[in-house]
Amino acid sequence: MAEQKIGNPAVVGLAGFGLTTMVLQFHNVGWMGLGPVIWLGLIFGGLAQMIAGLQEMKTGNNFGYCAFTAYGCFWIALALLLVGNHYNLYVSSRTDIGWFLIAWTLFTAILWVGSLRISSALALTFTLLLAGFVLLDLAHFGYPELTVVAGYELMACAAMAWYVMAHLIFADVFGRDVLPVGRPWLRGPSAPAPTPLKVAAAKA
Amino acid sequence: MRATLTAIVLVAALAAGGVSPGAAGETAATGATTTGATTTESATSESATPQEVVAKVWAASRFLGEKGASGYAAFNSKDGPWVWKDSYVFVYDCRLDRMVAHPLRPDLVGRPVKQIVDNNGKHIFVDLCDTGRQKGGGWVEYLWTKPGAGSVSRKISYALGADIAFASGIQVAAGVYDDDVSTADLATLTDRMADPTKYPAH
Repeated sequence: MAEQKIGNPAVVGLAGFGLTTMVLQFHNVGWMGLGPVIWLGLIFGGLAQMIAGLQEMKTGNNFGYCAFTAYGCFWIALALLLVGNHYNLYVSSRTDIGWFLIAWTLFTAILWVGSLRISSALALTFTLLLAGFVLLDLAHFGYPELTVVAGYELMACAAMAWYVMAHLIFADVFGRDVLPVGRPWLRGPSAPAPTPLKVAAAKA
Repeated sequence: MRATLTAIVLVAALAAGGVSPGAAGETAATGATTTGATTTESATSESATPQEVVAKVWAASRFLGEKGASGYAAFNSKDGPWVWKDSYVFVYDCRLDRMVAHPLRPDLVGRPVKQIVDNNGKHIFVDLCDTGRQKGGGWVEYLWTKPGAGSVSRKISYALGADIAFASGIQVAAGVYDDDVSTADLATLTDRMADPTKYPAH
């Protein structure tokens, strides 16, 4: 009996991460209001990305398991923070949100190191994400004008996440790697462990 | 382009009729006040003082800092604590260019503000935003309709930023209707209220 082909949860995780990050930046640079950010944040960036993260467990990919589940939770928490502030439920001040973002910056820094061992495209995605978080931290502690800078910077981050998603999907549908993600930035003396991204590409 | 057109139409309307900023909506709002609450009008015969304005604006900024976006609604209430004597606190967003809350002009809420000009052609909210952005806020002079009055008066408003999560351009302001007092005098008053130790009693 032939083994059934299994999809890669990362395509959904990256899709949700990229799209909600993109929409939030449309808000941060002043193009649109918060409504779509809240609902997409709950469903796509939140629920869908979190489920994709939980599905990563079965693929044996600890990086994707942690990253997608955590950022899925980030989106749900962010949407609920916005809702709470609107309805006077545990209202968060600007600095409260600042500390919330600092915690996520520290967490992202750990995953950023991991991303350096995976591929150039993912390393770039996480470098942009880490820089975006640092800019947003500064925006909440005395430099509000940096919100717009972070907005454009994180749009690039979202686009990079979509690039990695497109790499996986196109490798599948075209039968060859049309959008290469590049070699890891950090290569130790031992060969890097095969990652699910590569495994998926190899399977395809 | 549309904003420019609206501004031109507004200026034309002002020039023709000498009505207050916001033309059509103003008549409706004033009408509602006269028919609805005569008692409010008799209460407005007393004038707010600059000290009261500063205290209310500081309190409003602090209130929004604590309440966040959930605090906006309170400023739309005519009967709430943010309307007193002949003055009131209004809330606007300088970044998204819109009126967030206004107790006496619901027609302006949610609409762009930076295009609003007074009878002298001054872009009121451009000035308020520039001044309110300064540390400790500041005073801006313009022409506006006094609550319950039919014509415009000289109004001097104190604008101050409010520190709110997920919004970076929110300001609160309130004003006095006064023909003589200068913005410089009021700036000294605000300084004195902010830091009484700088002005020792003789």
